[in-house]
Amino acid sequence: MLTTVSLSLLVQALVNGLLLGLVYTLISLGLSLTLGIMGVVNVAHSTLIMLGSYLALELLQRLGLDPIISAVIAVPVFFLIGVLLERLLISRVARTSQTTGLLVLFGVLVVIEGAAILRWTTDTQVLSVSYTNTSLTLDGIAIAVPRLIAAAIALVLVLLLDTFLRSTLYGKAIRAMSQNLDAARISGIDTDRLSLLVFGLATATAGVGGVTLAMIFPFDPQDHYRWLAWAFLVVVIGGLGSIRNTLLAGLLIGLIETLSSVLFPFQYVYFIVYLLLVVALLVRGQGLAGSQSRAL
Amino acid sequence: MSSALLERATARTRWRSWLYRGLGAAAAVGLLAVLGVLIPLDWVTTLSAVYMYIVLAEGWNILGGYAGYLNFGMVTFFGVGAYTAGVLCTQYNVHPLLTIPLAGIMATVAALLVGVPALRLRGVYFAILTLIISFLTQVLVTNLDITGGASGIYMPSLPFDPFTNEQIFYYAFLGLMLLAVLLAFIIEHSRFGYALVAIREDEDPAEILGVRTTWLKTQALLLGAFLAGVAGAIYAFHTSYIEPQGTFSLDISIDVVLMSLVGGLGTWQGPVIGVPLMLVTAQVLRILAGELPFFGSTLPPEFDRVVFGIILILVALLAPYGVMGLVRRVRGRRLTV
Amino acid sequence: MMRHAADVPAGSGAPSPNGLASNANAGLSMRGVTAGYYSHDLVLNNVSLNARPGKVTVLLGPNGSGKSTALRVLYGLLRPRSGQILLDGREITTVPPQRRLALGMALLPQGRSVFPELTVQENLEIGGWLLARDRRRLAAALEGVYARYPSLKEWRQKQAGSLSGGQQRLVEIGRMMVADPRVILIDEPSVGLAPVIVDQVYEEIARLKEEQRTILLVDQNVRAAVALADYIYTLEYGRNNLEGERGAFEDRLEALIKSWLRF
Repeated sequence: MLTTVSLSLLVQALVNGLLLGLVYTLISLGLSLTLGIMGVVNVAHSTLIMLGSYLALELLQRLGLDPIISAVIAVPVFFLIGVLLERLLISRVARTSQTTGLLVLFGVLVVIEGAAILRWTTDTQVLSVSYTNTSLTLDGIAIAVPRLIAAAIALVLVLLLDTFLRSTLYGKAIRAMSQNLDAARISGIDTDRLSLLVFGLATATAGVGGVTLAMIFPFDPQDHYRWLAWAFLVVVIGGLGSIRNTLLAGLLIGLIETLSSVLFPFQYVYFIVYLLLVVALLVRGQGLAGSQSRAL
Repeated sequence: MSSALLERATARTRWRSWLYRGLGAAAAVGLLAVLGVLIPLDWVTTLSAVYMYIVLAEGWNILGGYAGYLNFGMVTFFGVGAYTAGVLCTQYNVHPLLTIPLAGIMATVAALLVGVPALRLRGVYFAILTLIISFLTQVLVTNLDITGGASGIYMPSLPFDPFTNEQIFYYAFLGLMLLAVLLAFIIEHSRFGYALVAIREDEDPAEILGVRTTWLKTQALLLGAFLAGVAGAIYAFHTSYIEPQGTFSLDISIDVVLMSLVGGLGTWQGPVIGVPLMLVTAQVLRILAGELPFFGSTLPPEFDRVVFGIILILVALLAPYGVMGLVRRVRGRRLTV
Repeated sequence: MMRHAADVPAGSGAPSPNGLASNANAGLSMRGVTAGYYSHDLVLNNVSLNARPGKVTVLLGPNGSGKSTALRVLYGLLRPRSGQILLDGREITTVPPQRRLALGMALLPQGRSVFPELTVQENLEIGGWLLARDRRRLAAALEGVYARYPSLKEWRQKQAGSLSGGQQRLVEIGRMMVADPRVILIDEPSVGLAPVIVDQVYEEIARLKEEQRTILLVDQNVRAAVALADYIYTLEYGRNNLEGERGAFEDRLEALIKSWLRF
């Protein structure tokens, strides 16, 4: 039997879960894009998310910039990082074996994580701004303001990307490329240049995702694996090639996390998520493996 | 020359070359065994670390090198082994010697939990899952009561003087290393090894030709995990204190991948070459760190991770077959000329 | 006149196969091309051929003789290990496939190649990628294709993947025609299609021929292909075998097909 208190607790968990789910969608989009369109599994994805968090931290500490502004700044900054990574490494890797590609990206992970430890040490950081500990209360349901803002940023970015992929000719070309690479090339599409664009966009979403995560959670240079796990889970459940399915999967993971943290001690969230991951891989794995026939 | 004569002659040279190789190997083993009592204490400790990493790298190489399925979380099995020994020994009073094989078995069980969902899929999914699992295992061990949480486990120490202790672990790691190298050598020259290489080269035709790829990959993972688990158990007794941050550190996984890669993926010699090479590199970097200027102060010792990452990228791109690849190229040239 | 490749002096500098040296540079040609997918095996071994402008050139051969590979090399999807690809005398061996359309070339690949999750209209827009900067020209080109293939207009909002095999083939042809190519490479146009559709596809190729486009056709459907052909090449084991005008082949077709069935 649910008392009114636990019911409002449940509703609060639901709302929080949906907000969190939007952020999880954002941090998963990049992984889904590079995998679905370029066939590249970016194991370094979560280190880019982590760099996004530190960008927000640096901009706040040095220039006093609000994370909302940092989220905007992160778009061009991380787009550029993504373009550089693609040009320097990914484009080379695409022509070699899958093993080489994975090793190179693993190397990127090691370099970024190591550099982050050198620069920021392994101390845990938090972004604290004026509204950090404030919350809105509606009908007895409290919603943390930073979480609301982070979710709003995530929602805007997800919608923008979806519109871009659906409605612009470049977006259609990117989708065409993911559906049939050779047919796209013989239709005159320069798939090398589009890969640059895709990796740039994927990295930009990771960077902004990092900013939004930093508004909600404390962070350090090494706990990004958690986000890699979450993002991978969202991709496995949501499948490739559809932002809407990624969004649904992201919301689902957000809900599962908040609901299970109401019911179980915090660390159990990890096991529930791992269990989900295993089940999802067993159920959907072959589908993912099928789309994975080319290169990396 | 008649063909029969030619055949007999080549058989004789082949036999002779095996004899030489056998003698060479025996001499090398003898030398390493004698070293244990001849060299100073800190050298014994250093060599023990080399042997331990060779065990891990050989174990990793079975699946990662021959079959091309990269395990970015090798430390999971190492850590599970270490903690199995620790928990059994301190909580259940199991005899230390008995905990070592049990640690190998527990690591194998852990490998089953990872391998069954992940090895039906292609390598990229396996790779990312191993990375995630090693992080999750670390969280698990940090939060469980039985593992002592973040404060870790103090291991019982051996009732000898420090030097004898070090020598015992030296021979333990040496024995395990010889076993691992021999296992890798046998695998490389067996049908099992050829099948793993076929998976790496092109999995689809291998599957169509009736190679049971999933089971083969699982076997390869389990063998490697067993070796890592045993190594972890011996390591636990050696360091006398284990805690989740260090025992499940991603650094160990990175080191194992890098050492195997630098030595040469998919060759039994690779780890034997790669491990000392990278450990020496790490040592040099540590010395350099104290001397190189870095924005007004000296470099922090952690900078070796960045350098290792860069080496990983460069070797993967420029010399994907490592030192053994270079050796083979030189040798191949000599043969064809 | 039909001749055997052995009659032609070997080497990449072989004279024009049709004996008209002055014509050698026109159209699309391949000279002394050697190519393969792996280092240890060659799929094409010193192959030369020429698709004359405004004509239908057909490339025949048993399974595995290298026909499709020849098309891949001609279109830049596979880089030859040696030899040259020439378009109207200009070397284009290393021009990547995405630039070939701008040269007036197009390829209709074997099997299904629509973008299944895009609508028919979007598929055509991708075909007009080169005109993307000029919205008006793109729209005009699309209207041209819709006028040419009215059924595409009916389906324009449907997802290409939801269409039948024959309808998808039409989308592929329409997508190719948005760029109005001069030189068209066609790989196995009838594979996997119902007989009724197959007839329509060959009618469409006949129409492309009437429009004086240069066509290089690779086909298993030997009779249909030969009926359209002006000039025919055959490959065997990745080498040039026979070549000649259509007339020279017509009486020998049965024997030829029978001999290929042995493969």
